Amino acid sequence: MAIDPIVYGYVVKEEKYPDKAVIIEEGSKGEWAYVVLKGNVKVAKMAPKGIINIDTLGEGAVFGEMAMFMRGSGIRTASVVAHGPVLIGVLDSVRLFDAYASIPPQIKSLFETMIRRLGDTTNAVTWLVGESK
Amino acid sequence: MDKTDSLPPNLRLSFKKGDLIAKQGDYGISIYRIESGKVGIYIESGEKEVCLAVLGRGEIIGEMTFLNQVVEPRFASARALEETRVEVWHPDRLVREYQKMSPIIKYISDQVLRRLARMNKVIGKLDTGEKKPSPDSELSISQRLFYRKDVDISCEYRSLDTRKPVWLKGSIRNLSLNGLGLHVIARNNLNFPHDPGKVFRVRATLPNGREVEMDARIVTAKKAKMPGRLDIGLALMDITEETRKILGFFLMP
Repeated sequence: MAIDPIVYGYVVKEEKYPDKAVIIEEGSKGEWAYVVLKGNVKVAKMAPKGIINIDTLGEGAVFGEMAMFMRGSGIRTASVVAHGPVLIGVLDSVRLFDAYASIPPQIKSLFETMIRRLGDTTNAVTWLVGESK
Repeated sequence: MDKTDSLPPNLRLSFKKGDLIAKQGDYGISIYRIESGKVGIYIESGEKEVCLAVLGRGEIIGEMTFLNQVVEPRFASARALEETRVEVWHPDRLVREYQKMSPIIKYISDQVLRRLARMNKVIGKLDTGEKKPSPDSELSISQRLFYRKDVDISCEYRSLDTRKPVWLKGSIRNLSLNGLGLHVIARNNLNFPHDPGKVFRVRATLPNGREVEMDARIVTAKKAKMPGRLDIGLALMDITEETRKILGFFLMP
């Protein structure tokens, strides 16, 4: 498995999901982040006229990080669904937060800006695609 | 003494309304933090300028260029929407701090950055109608009312792209945590343009008595069934934690 040891070292639990299983549901609460260990997942978002696929993530991809780092809102901004059978690693949130807390303040605001902007841009994309359906 | 202390102090710059702070395609490496005022982030797509975000106090401009860690031209332009003061951050100091960042956070930050760059590209294409990604219907998630509520709430809104602080009246016809549908008199268009890419500030009192104020970017604008009216679809931009909470409670089934 070609998972970077940097991230594999943070995996505390492995979970198997069958095809089309919902791993994260948009609008629900949860602050854990995950990494794809085997297989692919799809990131999807509700739009006015249906569900829009935003992205497909493969092995090594981290997801759920937005709710985790977004100033404690903890609300999932998108759904993540298994695309074929997948093996998912749950990341150690305590150690992740420790790592995050050690970042210098200016870098932290850069990181937060980036995450916030990813949220804004994804929203706008969802609306654009959703309205044109 | 740490070497960082010997670097010159952070510079401060002032911009007038309409001034360009950074231009797309330039090879600037500075990062700015907004101390006061409002800044619009635009990307040029074809011949159009697409507004990606409106940033205010405490927010950062130029982080993409820095985080890419390579000399790449700026992906977007930044323009002052009103009298704006920024603090210029010394890139050397940041690079040094970035190196100290823990590897796991760097790992995640790289991925977020790549996704952001991809989304920015998609939005540029969508706005000019270059490509419409085909939506996928095979996913089996239940559609819940939580996400989008049909409502009829009177509201006031103004354009953040013009200097005139004119508040116009309209009605919110649907609302979600991602965006809202606005129904207005077509004549309102004479005060300021109601076109895709423009940013409005909308304020309203929800039926539960809570007041909300949110900034949103127009993604669609079309004639309503009722003559002389417009239906406008807007995507919410960085809303405050407070607003998110109020909306969340209101939208709950």
